[in-house]
Amino acid sequence: MAASYWDSTQRKFWTFTKQQLALERKKIEESERNLVNMYPLPDRRHLSIHFYQQLTKMARPLAIRQQALATAQVYVRRFYTKVEIRRTNPALVLATALYLACKMEECPQHIRLVLAEARHCWALDTSFNDISKIGECEFTLISEMNSQLILHHPYRSLAELQTQFLLTMEENTLAWSIINDHYLTDLPIIHPPHVIAITAISLAVVCKPTQGGPQLHAAGLTTALQTLTNPRNAASQGSQNRVLKLVDWLAESNVDIEAVVECIQEMISLYEVWESYNDKACKDQIAKFVKARGLDK
Amino acid sequence: MFTGYNTKKRVNERYKIVGFISSGTYGRVYKAEGKNGRVGEFAIKKFKPDKEGELQYSGISQSAIREMALCTELAHPNVVHTVEIILEEKCIFIVFEYAEHDLLQIIHHHNQPQRQAIPAPTIKSILYQLLQGLVYLHRNWVMHRDLKPANIMVTSPGKVKIGDLGLARLFYKPLQNLFNGDKVVVTIWYRAPELLLGSRHYTPAVDLWAVGCIFAELLSLRPIFKGEEAKMDSKKMVPFQRNQMQKIVEIMGMPSKDRWPLLTAMPEYPQLSSLAAGNSRFHRPQGLENWYQTCLKNNQYPHGPSPETPGPEGFSLLQQLLEYDPQKRVTADNALQHPYFTVHGIPSENCFQDSKIKYPVRRVSQEDNDIRTSSLPGTKRSGLPDDSILGRPAKRLKEG
Repeated sequence: MAASYWDSTQRKFWTFTKQQLALERKKIEESERNLVNMYPLPDRRHLSIHFYQQLTKMARPLAIRQQALATAQVYVRRFYTKVEIRRTNPALVLATALYLACKMEECPQHIRLVLAEARHCWALDTSFNDISKIGECEFTLISEMNSQLILHHPYRSLAELQTQFLLTMEENTLAWSIINDHYLTDLPIIHPPHVIAITAISLAVVCKPTQGGPQLHAAGLTTALQTLTNPRNAASQGSQNRVLKLVDWLAESNVDIEAVVECIQEMISLYEVWESYNDKACKDQIAKFVKARGLDK
Repeated sequence: MFTGYNTKKRVNERYKIVGFISSGTYGRVYKAEGKNGRVGEFAIKKFKPDKEGELQYSGISQSAIREMALCTELAHPNVVHTVEIILEEKCIFIVFEYAEHDLLQIIHHHNQPQRQAIPAPTIKSILYQLLQGLVYLHRNWVMHRDLKPANIMVTSPGKVKIGDLGLARLFYKPLQNLFNGDKVVVTIWYRAPELLLGSRHYTPAVDLWAVGCIFAELLSLRPIFKGEEAKMDSKKMVPFQRNQMQKIVEIMGMPSKDRWPLLTAMPEYPQLSSLAAGNSRFHRPQGLENWYQTCLKNNQYPHGPSPETPGPEGFSLLQQLLEYDPQKRVTADNALQHPYFTVHGIPSENCFQDSKIKYPVRRVSQEDNDIRTSSLPGTKRSGLPDDSILGRPAKRLKEG
């Protein structure tokens, strides 16, 4: 782990406990009680899935790297811990977060191209008539984040650890996609990147990417969690040795095992919630407050 | 309502502008005093908008974003401290701690009226502090990329601070090609040979070459490799900096494949042989040692072991800094372990310790005192096309 994470603004200012996060969110909801009552929103993870899909739609034609998408997702999550979502136009916040993230991740996109993709994504949205909207929202985003824009992602920890655990190609791919998925949860603002990377590796090793490709299911993960917490009863004999090795390594290292277990549980419940995801419902509920309040003007 | 950006802090409510310090490609720097309970002196950097007279938000330049993010993230006694960043109605201000001097101004002071060498202990302390700041940056995966005397600040109590992170970049990101985007980096006189030869995989070693050049300049009071910059041609191709490379070779001699195995892999390597043609000095270079001895003699540093001369240890360190092969060049960490810094005891934390020289204070002009409205001529940092996206514009742009 690079020394820099421990002194980072990410650790010092943007890592919360679950309780702190709940409290912060309650505070901003309380300050906008009427709005919150008037415009109910789907599960936060459903919103995150929706946001991710919109970001991906914008990013694909521009060939934007995954890491910039991840950064944009964290920016959006940080922003909404400080600003009530119903006071914003999420489409504008997403496009701006992506524009800013691309600059920070050294793959800059011209503001006009981001604008064009955003218009394409939200065809009916009239707020995207000129670049100054994104430019102004950029000021708001940076200001709310106190210019603390440098992020430490688990991808680098994964790259460092993959040789240590001799991950196969498939396992590495699976771990990578678990990291991609964790941005749909609060985990990136609760746990340090290496804990997330170890979570992803553990799951990848225990689940073993099978015939179906790196597809994850809550049920499979639950079995995986049981395997990890009680490796000597592991059903599959073939994987037992590697799992044991991993568990031994975890026990000897200074990694917070409780945190890893918590992350695994969080991922399991993400995949459970995902099954009831309804894109149209998300879109409609967002559109309701945006239109009614004229936030797209 | 989410109707737009609401300024939370105002620069004029928090600071009183004392005067204007300097302007550069990035914008303007002002000297300021704290207001409303804030005490002390500050330097406030105001970024210029991309286009002159920009009246609307058009997106912040990538170099400004980098600098803001790095300034917020970094904290070290030998790196200029960032007090706060203010975003106010289309303008960006970075508020720094104030430093009365910088190395350029100190070198300048010793050049006139009569040439007088910088005391050897002062140079040693400056270098020691500079390297500590650099170790910190490199440990945090930050390359400065624009180290030069004007960017090294010195406070009245003799603390050395690395400034201007406008070109600094994080170098851990394995996926990106550092060459891509900004092709020209580091003021030419301090530019490392691998950059001059078109290297695409440059490393923190470029900062150490610059430290070597600064060390040499502190000793001799003149830039050691004072080349003339070849400008970008009309096709925006980055030219080979022939004259700069010449200046280096005239002292250091031709780089060789034996000492620098990857030399022949450098994109501009074929240009090297043409440099030598018809130039007799290439075959009889002055040699760094010769340059060093002449410099000590000219500036009347005493003979024999004494803290008043940089001595043979100084030469040894200089040689390790001005090493052609970036892989062999000394790292900031190792440079700090060099005997130069221990032979006469650890250098002082105050580079002016025991020095009787009084340096003039920073010049502050009264011409432009209005930080909010002053006009901002010129364009953004030239030669750095890092914000302009080359590539083809997306087709969909037209439909919109």
